[in-house]
Amino acid sequence: MKGQQKTPLLKRASKTFLLSSAVIMIVSAIALYFYTRYLLTDEIEEELFSDKDRIERLLIDDPELKGIPPIMMVERVNSAENEQLLDTLIYDPLQDEIELFRQLSGTKEINGRQYRVTVRAMVIESENILFAILFTFLTIIFLAFVFLFYLNRSRNEQLWRPFFINLEKLKGFSLQSGQPLEFEESNILEFDELNREMKILTQRVRADYGNLKQFTEDVSHEMQTPLAIMQAKIETLINDQDLSHKQFEELSSLQNDIQRLKQLNKRLNLLAKIENHQFAAVETIGLNQILKESVATLQELTNVDITQNIQAEVRLKMDKYLASVLFNNLLSNAVKHNKKNEAIEVRLTKDHFQILNSGDAALRHPERIFERFYKESNKVDSTGLGLSIVKKICDYYDLVPTYYFKEGKHLFEINFWRN
Amino acid sequence: MKFLIVEDEIELQLSIANYLKRDAHVCELASDYLEASQKLEIYEYDIVILDLNLVNGSGLDLLKVLKKKEKKAGVIIISANSSLDDKLEGLDLGADDYLTKPFHLAELNSRIKAILRRGKYGGNDSITFNEIRLDTLSRTAYVNGKSIALTRKEYDLLLFFITNQSRILSKNIIAEHLWGDDSDMLDSFDFVYVHVNNLRKKLTKVGAKYLQTAYGTGYRFMED
Repeated sequence: MKGQQKTPLLKRASKTFLLSSAVIMIVSAIALYFYTRYLLTDEIEEELFSDKDRIERLLIDDPELKGIPPIMMVERVNSAENEQLLDTLIYDPLQDEIELFRQLSGTKEINGRQYRVTVRAMVIESENILFAILFTFLTIIFLAFVFLFYLNRSRNEQLWRPFFINLEKLKGFSLQSGQPLEFEESNILEFDELNREMKILTQRVRADYGNLKQFTEDVSHEMQTPLAIMQAKIETLINDQDLSHKQFEELSSLQNDIQRLKQLNKRLNLLAKIENHQFAAVETIGLNQILKESVATLQELTNVDITQNIQAEVRLKMDKYLASVLFNNLLSNAVKHNKKNEAIEVRLTKDHFQILNSGDAALRHPERIFERFYKESNKVDSTGLGLSIVKKICDYYDLVPTYYFKEGKHLFEINFWRN
Repeated sequence: MKFLIVEDEIELQLSIANYLKRDAHVCELASDYLEASQKLEIYEYDIVILDLNLVNGSGLDLLKVLKKKEKKAGVIIISANSSLDDKLEGLDLGADDYLTKPFHLAELNSRIKAILRRGKYGGNDSITFNEIRLDTLSRTAYVNGKSIALTRKEYDLLLFFITNQSRILSKNIIAEHLWGDDSDMLDSFDFVYVHVNNLRKKLTKVGAKYLQTAYGTGYRFMED
């Protein structure tokens, strides 16, 4: 259901209820209107026929009968007429109004003479009844719906409460914290089952995560000793044997590979340590000094000019070591990907830190830049962990790192205050 | 000088001993906690190279015993554990230095020499190699009694070369010594080349031609 707008559960339930009750109300009101009207009309007509019949019988006994105008009327006519049922408007002097009547008229031959008998009934009465019925019905059903709506809603809220509480708890679920997830108890079977499954699932996820982390730590720890042996043996070999230039080159290159493994290890370890919350920021440190030191160290290792544009004294609660790792990684990243002979610029204001280096084009996948082992090019030798460490450190201290490409410059920015 | 190498990985133990013996030091070996504590009990050493994870005990406990008995041996810890806490604990207990595995033997050697130089182990503040003398307190180099102007990195480099004299040092080892953890940030090898070249020029100018190129890309500091 991608892209479709998501409605909250309770709102959706209320909406369904409101819609269906509105449909029921309209349909039943229409049906009731027509059925009642049919019944009332039928009733009037039946009465008209029986009235007419009664008058005709009275007319046999008394040919001079005049009737009670305008309800019942008898007239002598010359020829026979068809029976007629129609609506007519008649002035009612009592109410001083023109009223709608239903009228039945027909001729009857009595003793060789034609009489026209007309009977009428007031329609207004039946319409009044019709509307009274309809109004009463609608009022009752409307009140019932309103009542049901609120009852339903509060009932639903009650019913789904454990679900919503547990949902909030799940949102707060963190792999790193050892806190067990305590779900809200529910006497609803399905919710209870859901809780049980969620509990098992989160426990399993946590255990897997823990194992994986332990594995990484163990591997990186256990790797150190064999690496030390390899490194020591290479040094022994270089010093004890007569080697050819080619052999020495090979051994040097082995030393470089060991060095890379060592760095990889160190960085994975650092990531693990940050994840394990082994850096507690107890002191407020001045970033300016650390930045200056990082720039000075790096300047020793590159011919690229690094211009510093420091506009404010920034103090943050942060581990000193992590702060320098942060700057070192961003700086060396900028130098590595810089265009030759162009300067790198670092800016520090009270709100953010920025580092700019020149480049030909924006990254193809800027959203992946902070992923572990993600590299856009093969040309530079790196562990692929530098920027993910930057991200990790930023996350740890609630800082926001962003990447832009603007006017031929790659720009990394770290905002010190979350918006 | 007499060293004790406490390390349960025999291969590493032998490599370390082999490297240090070249400077005519006596190296004794201990492969586990018991052997080490017995040797420490009976003999006196100038330097103890101590691994922390031993087969039947912790190197830190050995260190505690050592300090309790007020042995004058300098202690350098070598450990696979790079965590800061371990490092601090070791140094708090009286270790003189801490080296994380894997390390270069040349680096270990230069750290040991640094410990030995510190007064309390009977060393002195100057190192001499023929006509070259380094004053480690003022960090100045003298050739035939006349000081030569070296940059900070050049001085470090010269000290490293003299402490590891007649060994072949690759650029990798030198870079790690000069820049430590930062050496991997950039292509530091080019800068090793620049610094070594500058140092060589300065030394050659005053007649000290000891810095040789070995196998094309490595360096060695020795008499012809």
